[in-house]
Amino acid sequence: MVPGRRRWRRVRQVSNGVVAAFVAAAILLLCGAGYAGLPALGPLLDPAHGAWASASGGQLPESQVLSLPGLTSTALVSFDANGIATINAASRPDAMAALGYLHARFRLTQMDLQRRLAEGRLAQLVGPAAVSSDEFELRLGLLRTARREWAAMPRTGAAATMLAAYARGVNDYLAQLHASGDWPALYSVAGVYPARWTPVDSLAVQGDLAQELDYTTSPLDYALLVRSLGIRRTMRWFPVVPGGTQRTYDPGPYKAQGIAPVTGVSTTAAPGRGSAGAAGGQPSGGQHPAGTGRQSPAAIALQSWAGTAGQLSAGVAGQASAAVARSAVTVLAVTSALPPGQVARDTAPGQVAGQTAAGSAWAANGPRVAGRGSILAGTAPLAGTVPSAWFQVAISAPRYDVTGISLPGLPGVVLGHNQHIAWSLSHAQDQSTLFYAERTSRARPGQYFWRGRWRAMRLVRYAIPVRGGQTRHLAVDLTVHGPVLTDAGQAISVDWTGSTGSPDIAALARIGAAASFTQFRAALAGWRSPAQTFVYADDRGNIGAIAAGDYPIVRHGAPWLPLPGTGADDVAGAIPFAALPQSYDPPGHVIATAGQRPVTAAYPYYIGTTASDLDPAGWASNQYAVLGRRSGLQPAGFAALQARSADQIAARLVPRLLAALHRATLTPAERQAAGVLRGWNHVLDAQSAAAAIWSTFWPDYLSATFGPWWKAAAVPVQPDPAGLAFSAGQFGLVQALEHWTLADPSNPAFTPPGGPARTAASVMRVAFGAAVARLHALLGGAPSSWTWGRLRGTTTASLPRVPVLGASATAVGPTAVGPTAASTVTASTVAAGTVAAGPVTAGAGAGAPWTVAAGYTLPAGTANQGWRMIVWLPAASGRQGIEAEGIYPGGQSEDPASPWYDNLIARWASGGYLPMPPVGATALGRIRWELRP
Amino acid sequence: MSRLVSRSEVDRMGKRGSYRLGGLGPLGPGPGRPSRPFRPSFVRPEHPGTTVGWILAAVIGAVMIAGGSVLGLWFMPFVVGLATGLAMRWGGWRLRVSVPAVVIMAAAGWGLALWVPALRGLPLGATARTIAVTAGLPAITVLAFCAALAVSVALGLAGLWLGRALTPRPARD
Repeated sequence: MVPGRRRWRRVRQVSNGVVAAFVAAAILLLCGAGYAGLPALGPLLDPAHGAWASASGGQLPESQVLSLPGLTSTALVSFDANGIATINAASRPDAMAALGYLHARFRLTQMDLQRRLAEGRLAQLVGPAAVSSDEFELRLGLLRTARREWAAMPRTGAAATMLAAYARGVNDYLAQLHASGDWPALYSVAGVYPARWTPVDSLAVQGDLAQELDYTTSPLDYALLVRSLGIRRTMRWFPVVPGGTQRTYDPGPYKAQGIAPVTGVSTTAAPGRGSAGAAGGQPSGGQHPAGTGRQSPAAIALQSWAGTAGQLSAGVAGQASAAVARSAVTVLAVTSALPPGQVARDTAPGQVAGQTAAGSAWAANGPRVAGRGSILAGTAPLAGTVPSAWFQVAISAPRYDVTGISLPGLPGVVLGHNQHIAWSLSHAQDQSTLFYAERTSRARPGQYFWRGRWRAMRLVRYAIPVRGGQTRHLAVDLTVHGPVLTDAGQAISVDWTGSTGSPDIAALARIGAAASFTQFRAALAGWRSPAQTFVYADDRGNIGAIAAGDYPIVRHGAPWLPLPGTGADDVAGAIPFAALPQSYDPPGHVIATAGQRPVTAAYPYYIGTTASDLDPAGWASNQYAVLGRRSGLQPAGFAALQARSADQIAARLVPRLLAALHRATLTPAERQAAGVLRGWNHVLDAQSAAAAIWSTFWPDYLSATFGPWWKAAAVPVQPDPAGLAFSAGQFGLVQALEHWTLADPSNPAFTPPGGPARTAASVMRVAFGAAVARLHALLGGAPSSWTWGRLRGTTTASLPRVPVLGASATAVGPTAVGPTAASTVTASTVAAGTVAAGPVTAGAGAGAPWTVAAGYTLPAGTANQGWRMIVWLPAASGRQGIEAEGIYPGGQSEDPASPWYDNLIARWASGGYLPMPPVGATALGRIRWELRP
Repeated sequence: MSRLVSRSEVDRMGKRGSYRLGGLGPLGPGPGRPSRPFRPSFVRPEHPGTTVGWILAAVIGAVMIAGGSVLGLWFMPFVVGLATGLAMRWGGWRLRVSVPAVVIMAAAGWGLALWVPALRGLPLGATARTIAVTAGLPAITVLAFCAALAVSVALGLAGLWLGRALTPRPARD
């Protein structure tokens, strides 16, 4: 070969080698380490490891002996055919360790996401999309509270031992995963794995639950409404006390009993929350000086809920200054951008009354119940998801024999029954969140003015690791009230009852061991957050209810608006436990709660406005009416009531609507639509034409009434549509409109600004015409052929509620008209008890790269309850006589590949139940784990 | 067989450069043998070993890839590809056979590693869908399987290329 060609050939060979080496290195690097958010594909897709290893989580457990170093003695776990677990342990800590192991085995992703959410570590797993959530949480301070709470907790106390044992159980499972590599797919895909579980993590999850149920931004909404609509109109339309006639469960008489100190840990700048009353120079430590504000409770109440517009002073109006409004917009924009459910957003428009995330609970006794015992029925707080946020379990240990539902991440059973009592939860009306407009100065950066002098804010810094991005840094300023949420225009801080922590673990442990209402009530004495109504029934035929929680009372000002932060309007204390709304063995033998205002207008303390009254439709009132007419009830009767989704507002307003249409000139379609409504039983059934007409008319009626006012006042809806737009989700407006329609049809609100005079009847006619025209355009055909199911389905979201994890598209499902997706569960499949359809993948294709699981679209009208339970306690029966049944959507496992992922959804959707494992039972199921230390 | 003399050859007679020793005939290197139909040769004539042996080696390669997966050696397809690239010079294998061989070994290796757990009853199909959805892909089961096999094949081919590049063919003088 000639030398030139040989040289050229050599060059080609070397070039080929270099390029081959470069490509090989690039592929190995890509597969081994990933690049720019792309995970390391080699380890990820390695068939025997990586994401494929998660397939083992899709298998049903087998009977086996497991070694759990976290135990002190052998415990037994058994599973029935549906996956419901029963734990038998020799001690309560061992039972909690077994529960921790069980939770981790079936709900590790849920637990880890919850703690990441609470501790501001979601972006570490999810990436930049979760940075705003992390910033919000770190600013609010669930992690600060959890750390302080754990540091202050006596290590030998019940709560600490339960938390420590639970963490040991979780970590035993994590150790097994580390050894096997069988991580849930999410972790393999992300390449980020869960850290060891600590008691602080459980307390953070508890804080997260409190936030979901109790943290609201309604004072900021009020500030913007006052700025745009004016204070008088705002307080007429969003009053403190509703104008309707809601049925309370605590009708009084009431006795003012002073103000109790606010207890709990302090995470604020010294001197701590609740110590604003440190007028006496009391040091902080979070302890409020006993007692007593300078004003009487009656005076505070008078100031606080001077709900009639005429009594509101210019000073109160000043609480909604332009600067405050600007800051409110900033804070609301951040909060409303959070995923659904991360904070208490009340209910979404169109949700079925009484079946909201607020939960409901009612109890009956005496002649109302067969056998003269008592029955308790409840739907747990938190909306239905797949799988449910709750985890059903029965635990049998010395002094702790309980069956019910637990929350993965927390030790213990949250609601259920033991051998003597049963209890359930529902929303309690309580304004747990107060906002303060801090006085600051550009000349004094890092300081705020409080009680006559400038004070330094406490600065806390955080680093937020971001998967696939640079670590973000966050600085949080703390005042005496709490963290500063924004300093745009006006520094706004938030004082939230959840920031003081709450001894919930210990309280639930005591409830689990309680045998009487006295013990039950005593167990709740220290409960601070989230404020919840605990409904009770026992085997001696007693029933009761207590709205336990921390109800802050301010010294001055209108707490439903942002308060001046200079000290005069600080929290003086809380409503004493003895004065909280409560009831015991009422003469009517019925207690019904559904998030309604629990007390009458005569109650001497402020507990929030209609914004935190979650029963605008009067569902509880309906239960009172229905149960009050019945006797000898058994669980089947309660089940029918629990599944019934009649619209109570429709029941009251449809007759008025028909009366308004009676003399009107109607089109043929309108006449037919009115005829359809005439025979309606007000049940929101998927096949109901009347339900379609009503559910279209009602928002149109709201819009026709309030729309012109909103437009004229240029209400800034955008920062928080849920809290600022007129909708069926605005409980103040709903109650006001219903009240005016029934009792004040000539209310000036019906007449638009600058427009001709209108009445309720004339507005209803306009709205009805618009609704029929819209339905005709959407559905076509005769009104009798329209069905509600074509307008609205109920989607049970996948459990992770982070948008990038696939929940944003599934909150309440399709409002589009037309046939739903192929994977929709049809009414017939549900009725047949089979759900043939697969999960609706949420987010895939919608820019949601980390969608984990899936939701299910169910027939319209399906009550989206996260847990339904009925417990019948025949009088003096003992444990054998208690009949308890409950169910939630999905199943025990969070793994979509598991047969226990969705095995209960068909039964749940069709209104069915499963018998709850009895208390004290041993090894009921055929699958058994022997857990050895 | 007599050969016809073309008209053009007759025309060239007497002209410069048209005379060749010997008889009239076409330009170029003399009469060629009759052309044969193309039959691709997968090995050079001088390759060592039997074809069965090479097939057995490929099976062993696939098993090695599967075994590597079990041991957590996700890069085993690359190693097998590299070994193939190195061996193809010695073995005299041509690219047209070594590339498919590596593709088959890589896909079969990881495919085998996926198939075995499925035989044990693990819900691989549902898991594949979960992986796809988790990774932001449509919830189609086959996507995750295809992605896994594609990674294995890419690793194998990268190894093959590198191995081939490291053993250049000696220049013929």
